[in-house]
Parts: sequence; C-alpha cells; structure tokens
Amino acid sequence: MPEIVSRTLRLSSPPDTVDTVQDLLATIWAQTPRLDPADRMAAELSIVELTANVIEHANRGQAIRFTLTVVVSDDRIEATATDEGSVEHVGLSDRSMPDQWSERGRGLPIMQALNDSVEHRRVDGVNYWTVVRARRSPSSKRGRKVMPSISISGVIDEMARQRALEDMGILDTAPEERFDRVTRLARQLFGVETAAVNFIDGDRQWAKSVSGAGPVEMTREASMCTVTIQGNDPFVVTDMTADPRYSEKVVPGLLAFYAGFPLYAPGGERIGAFCVYDSTPRHFSVRETEMLRDLAGWVQQELTVSQELSRASEVQQGLLPQQLLSMPGWQIGGVCIPARAVGGDFYDWYPVGEGAALTLADAMGKGIGASIIAATVRAVLRSAARFADVAGAIDAASAALTIDLNNAGVFVTAFHARLDMDSGELSYVDAGHGLSIIARADGSSERLRSHAPPLGVDPETEWPLQTTVLEPGDTLIVVSDGVLDLYDGTLRSLDNLVALALLAKDPWEIIEAIRARARGTSSDDVTMLIARRDDAR
Amino acid sequence: MEITVVHHPFGVAEVTVGGRLNMVTAARMREAIESAIDSNHPNVAVDLSQVVFLDSSGLGALVSGLKAVRASGGDLRLVRPAEQAQLVLELTNMGSVLKSYDTVGDAFPHA
Repeated sequence: MPEIVSRTLRLSSPPDTVDTVQDLLATIWAQTPRLDPADRMAAELSIVELTANVIEHANRGQAIRFTLTVVVSDDRIEATATDEGSVEHVGLSDRSMPDQWSERGRGLPIMQALNDSVEHRRVDGVNYWTVVRARRSPSSKRGRKVMPSISISGVIDEMARQRALEDMGILDTAPEERFDRVTRLARQLFGVETAAVNFIDGDRQWAKSVSGAGPVEMTREASMCTVTIQGNDPFVVTDMTADPRYSEKVVPGLLAFYAGFPLYAPGGERIGAFCVYDSTPRHFSVRETEMLRDLAGWVQQELTVSQELSRASEVQQGLLPQQLLSMPGWQIGGVCIPARAVGGDFYDWYPVGEGAALTLADAMGKGIGASIIAATVRAVLRSAARFADVAGAIDAASAALTIDLNNAGVFVTAFHARLDMDSGELSYVDAGHGLSIIARADGSSERLRSHAPPLGVDPETEWPLQTTVLEPGDTLIVVSDGVLDLYDGTLRSLDNLVALALLAKDPWEIIEAIRARARGTSSDDVTMLIARRDDAR
Repeated sequence: MEITVVHHPFGVAEVTVGGRLNMVTAARMREAIESAIDSNHPNVAVDLSQVVFLDSSGLGALVSGLKAVRASGGDLRLVRPAEQAQLVLELTNMGSVLKSYDTVGDAFPHA
C-alpha cells in the first residue's frame, strides 16, 4: 500500500522557528512508521537546516513568510519551500564543509551530503527550494540509483501560480457586482445555464462569481477550468459525455458542455478561467468563441484593477516608518489600518538631533484620492525637517500644499511634534487635529487641544507652537478619528485610550488592542502613534 | 531543551543537554559554557546522550564553546553523543576536533 504523507506549513518568522518545523515533522514521522530511521534523521536534519538557512540569512531582522511542504512517498522524501527573503547568492556549488574551527556555514553542505538533489531558484524575488532524498529500500543498500528526475520547473510553475493567486488577495472574498454582471451577461448571451469566474487554488476550485446553478467550490480533480489553465487558448468541449478524457467530469443536470478561457495574474501566471457550461451538449461557434474571449478580457481588466489597488496599498504601507526608532529611555510605536485598500491617514517618525520628529496626519476622505494627498503631506513634512522649529515645518508644508489642497478641495489635519530625548520636552503644532492626549504616570491625563485650522483652509494661518513635557512613565497617544469610532465615536473615547495606556506594559500592547478592535469593523482609517517614556528607575 | 551543569573538582564542568540543540537553543548552550568558564571550570564535558536532535547551529555553539574554553586554558569534550548527534559529527568531519568519550571521567581523567 502506498505510503504518501504530505504536510504544508505556512510560517512567519519571527515568531515561528525551526521548532515549529520540527513539531510538524514529528506528526509526519508518526504516520510513516515504515520509514527507515536513517532516512528520517537525514530528512529532519536537512529540512531544519533549510529552515534555519531561510530564517538566518533571509530575514535581516524583518518578518518573513515561509511556506514548507513535505511529502513522504514510496520511493522518496521531498521538501519544497518558498520564501521571500533577500538572498544574494546561495553557494550550492560549493559542497565542501568549512574549516573545523568555523562556527557557521555547515547547513548547506549537510543538506547536500544527505540528499540526492538540492535545488534553489530565485524567481521574481521569491526563493524556491527543492530537496529530494531517495528512500533507503529494505532490500538494497542505500540506493543511489538514478532518480527519475522530478520536474522542478513543474513544481515551480505551480508554486508560482499559487503564490500569484494568493498575492491577488481575491480568494474567499465576497461576491462583487463588477464580476457578477459579466457572468450574468455571458449566461444571457450564450443561452447557457451557468457562467462563472473560477480560480484554481491548491486542490480546489473557487468561484469569485457564479451566475446560474454551478457550485462556488469544488475539488480541483473534478474541475474543467484546471484543464483550461494548462494553455493560453480557449478550451471548449461540446459534448463531454462523448469524450473519454472528460466523461468522468460530467455532472448530470449541470455539466456536459464546457467552454473556458484562462485568466492571468499580472505576472502572466494562469490562475483561473472565465467559463460557461451547460447540462446539455451544444455547439459553440467561432463567433461565440470570440465573444467568450472578449468577456474574459473584461474580467481580466477587473482583476487588474483589484491588483493595482492592492499594489497601491503595498506602496502606501511602505511609506510608513519601517525602522524602529531607537531612543534610549523611550518606546515609540504606530499602526495604520486603512478602511479600504489605501487610506488618507499616515504616521511618521524620524530621528532629529537628540530626539525625534513625530507626525500623524489625516487627509479628508478615504481611498486613493486621500492617499495621494497623504503621501504628499508626508513628503513635504519630511523635507521640511531641516527647519529647526516645528512650526516652521508646518508653515513650509502649508505653503507648499495650499494650491494642491485647494485644487483637490480637501484639507488635512496634522499633529507634528519634536520630542527631546533627554528632557522629555515635546514641542508640537496641531493643525486642526486635536486628537492627542497624554496619559500621565499618575493616572491623570492631559489633552493637547487644538485651536488652529487644518492645512488647506487658510494659507495665512499661523500655527502656534505649543510645549509640554513627558515625564517618566507618561505616554503620548495621537490617533485619527477612526480610532474614536472603535469606541463611542466621541472625544470620551480618548479616556478609553488613557485607561488602555495605563494597563498596557508597552506601546505594542496598546497597538494590539486597537488592532483587535479594528478587525473587520472599521469603516474609517484607523491610525495611532504612541510614545512612552520609560519609568524612572 | 533542558540543560544542567554540575561542577567537578579540577575545573571540570559537566554540561548535560536534553532535547533539541538547534538554532533556538544554541544561544543557551553558549551561555552555559561561558558561565562554566566564568566560574573557573574551563574543562567542559558536554553530555550529548540525551540530545534527540543536533543541527549545524547547535554544532556552531559547540565550536564556539571549544574556542572559548581553549582560550581559557581548558578543553571541551563530548560524552556519549546520541545516534543523531553522532551522524552530524561524522558528516561534518568534526569528530577529530570535538572528541567523544564514554564518561566524564574518561573525558578528563585527572578530574
């Protein structure tokens, strides 16, 4: 009886470690009692070395995603992995062990010594690893016979395809009218029972849109679209009952005729198909094939719009400070959760002299328009950092932005401050924002009120510079109005934040609490910036 | 990973490790050896009989420990490495540098 056990693990490191992988492997070994201990030991060591290599060399202090699949079949153990880490070069050609006194560099040589094949490819910023070891058979000594070559390119294609699909972020999302109207139209145009936009996700097919009787989800094995995505041409089977290749896929009362056209990810990977099908075999003319192609093109355009929006979202998240501010005696953190793919809020920080500049701004509106304004405000405030005083930076930003803001008919509220690391002095300008509060160590609180208008209202405005001091144990919290909506929507919500600040041991606990509240419910952008001064010792 | 340290006469520290000695636990192994050196026990016998898994990171910690104890006039020797650890030592040709003994007494006969 064939003994095939397969497990896939999606890791995020940190916090996941090689221990997570070893725990997964333990579950595989438990199901493969006939695996030779030498094979088990070799496979475990190789897979841990691979994981350690990814974690150690690829993450450079940042979290990385890492997917690992281990398959134990009759004749071999295969591990495939993908990660997004930045590896400049992997020395797979150099098989030799390092010098005995070296503390590092043995991982890859160990993998190569223990396996029949170790391959690494880097495609579009993603590392693909394949490690294969032929199983020791009970009858022959370690059979270093020629392995039937596994198609690494096939494995890579499928992994790249799967990854491209996942990156589009469309799987398991709610139905959308922009897709539904195409499937409705197709059903009417062709006079068929069902039209669908299907994606091939691992071992299942999932429909973003179905018009008619077809299922939203089915196994990949039963899918016709999985055949369509093997090529770039329209795929039509007029009578599936008469074709032995597809007769097993016939579903009485649902599927006996099929016509589909592949759909692509931005990188060209075939991720799914636009298709029409019917319970009765029928003819499909050349003209109809062309119509199908046109409708598939329409769906394709809608997909591209989604993808560009999610790219925009990545760009915007990239504009948030990626580096932690390292200021002895201070902990500084922030979070920005846009209500849509992109938002009009941002926070920013950067070191200035013996301290830091802190900014939180909120461009009126949501979505792409607001996000473009927000990115502009951020750039202008950053470039104004050369101004010694905080008010000067806001004045400069106002001067540079007024025309743009007027043209767009929007305004921007902003809190911009400079924090002196040693004295705790906080000099700030509040342009119509007014959502800043200090939670004092003794449990009291102080709101930093705003009497000045936002940017983009009146270019003649002079924004007053205000000053306060953060004492040891004090926490400065600056939020966007989306955070108020997580509570009762009024300024009383700031008191909830003060209470949260007193309970939390560090800014990240406050951020996690807000993140949890915002999950799935926020209708406005949720943004928060926190600076806590350590308790005096 | 469980790690216990027993001090013997003549500057010998017996470090017994159980569980996995990998990327996650390597740092603790280094610390145990450092503290043996700090307490004037630079002759370190690492008992690997309870180690279920050793990888290159764990091995790196042992090499780093070996260099540290030698710099302090001592040595680092292994006691009864388990089967998997033995495999790693052989595979990496480290057996000649990290020598294995049956007991702590064999590893440091003058202790």
